Amino acid sequence: MIEEPYRWVEAIANRREYIEAQLASGSPITALGYRDGILFLTIGQTRQKIFEIYDRIAMGAIGHPGDIERLRMAAIELASTEGFTRSAADVSLRRLVHYSLSPVMKSAFEQVYGPPYLARMLFAEVGERPSEDLFLRVEYDGEIATKGATYAQVRQDFAVLSGTRQSGELMEAFLKSQHAADASFEATLNSALEAWSIGHMSLQDSDSNELPERTAVVKYRQEQLANRGIEAALLERDASRAIRFRSLPDTELRSLIND
Amino acid sequence: MERSPVAVDQNFSGATGDFPALLRSKGLLASAVIAPTQDAGTPQKVWQPTEATTILAFKFLGGVLVAGDRRATAGNTVVYDRADKVLEIDRHSIMAIAGVPATAWEMARVLEHSFQYFRRTQLQEMSVDGKVRALSKLLRDNFGFVMQGVGVVVPIFATYDSHPKPETRLYFYDAMGAQFEATDYAATGSGSPAVRGILYYENNWGAKPLHKLSEDEAVSIALRALDTAAESDTSTGGVDRMGRIYPIIKIVSREGITTFPENKIAAVFKETVA
Repeated sequence: MIEEPYRWVEAIANRREYIEAQLASGSPITALGYRDGILFLTIGQTRQKIFEIYDRIAMGAIGHPGDIERLRMAAIELASTEGFTRSAADVSLRRLVHYSLSPVMKSAFEQVYGPPYLARMLFAEVGERPSEDLFLRVEYDGEIATKGATYAQVRQDFAVLSGTRQSGELMEAFLKSQHAADASFEATLNSALEAWSIGHMSLQDSDSNELPERTAVVKYRQEQLANRGIEAALLERDASRAIRFRSLPDTELRSLIND
Repeated sequence: MERSPVAVDQNFSGATGDFPALLRSKGLLASAVIAPTQDAGTPQKVWQPTEATTILAFKFLGGVLVAGDRRATAGNTVVYDRADKVLEIDRHSIMAIAGVPATAWEMARVLEHSFQYFRRTQLQEMSVDGKVRALSKLLRDNFGFVMQGVGVVVPIFATYDSHPKPETRLYFYDAMGAQFEATDYAATGSGSPAVRGILYYENNWGAKPLHKLSEDEAVSIALRALDTAAESDTSTGGVDRMGRIYPIIKIVSREGITTFPENKIAAVFKETVA
């Protein structure tokens, strides 16, 4: 089949369509840089979706659990080996994603007789200042988006991950207008919850490509939180401790939610 | 075919969270091979343990205190007088070492990464028994070097266990990796016989048993014990009165590890020891 270039292109297109359909129901994840660190957040999943990778690196992912696990393990393995043989300061998210994960995902995707990775991942690395935070989104075909945007665009202090492109774009549009890098934890938490609600609403109703009314978003969030839990984790900016990752229990967050 | 830089086969070590196995698979951790026995006729070299230092640990009211002198020696030469032999492995664990620094520090590094690698891959903290065993295994793997007369390490491991019962735990090891849980105190290194005598005496006939001592009282006894060890053991630094170099003292408790600050050690030393 793949001896003919046309067939190969067709096979890749089919594969892309199949993976997109599989990922389309993936519940959104947000990573927001703020004054004291980076907040990862999602709502109400049966599986854990936010993970610690290394001292200053965390990951959120949607996709097939088997594939997510393999990629997560590989990332931890690479970071730990580097941190052990050189030093924790030499572990870099940019190198990890650009030199190791992306090429492997690309070749798995394009070798049409082998299985691709059914996963979309969001990585963040906390820096000393908000301007040094790094966000990278890696697609199933190895494509990398920096800061949730490209080099040609203005830098953003957040990144999102969602099942569909439209859902992700709506979340980004909301965060661009609502979120600032010097925000407090409380403000960041509320922005993250609202962004998640907007993204999730878009997954349920894919017809509309405009931001919903604020009252509708608040109502939707309240409904969702009434019977689902919050999964959240922090990468703390505080340099006094080597390990910056900390899971935030649902109960610690509920009291900080506005209205 | 060349192996991909990202391990994606089913046998990757991440599935079991075994960091030393990962290092071994990448050729980054060599286990020593026990040297073949020499030909009959050549006299066998008698193995002489050289653990030139003094480390002590005991449980007191506020947790476990771990103290170590700061002298590093090579034969009968003092090479360094600010060595840190009381190493933090994670938020609640301390490994204090007597023995060859190169091996001991490397071991501490492997151990530190092992615990974190386990937590990150398995999404749960390694149990205290698992941690104690991990150190035992590293010592066992190192035994080939010990037999060759290089690389002997005899550590103490102190940690806080929140499960099943919240309490501090204290272990000491021999060079082959056997682990022993200490109920009250442990000491290791060339100066340890003197220290063991003092701690035994204090625990049984002192003003209070060790586990009832306050923080300052505990620090005072640790300083006295190290000073006594240094009196007869040339490899133990004790307290350097001229250079104002004090032992490293760390405390493990429920809140984590605190390093007893040097100025407070100096104050306790001035008041109760000097």
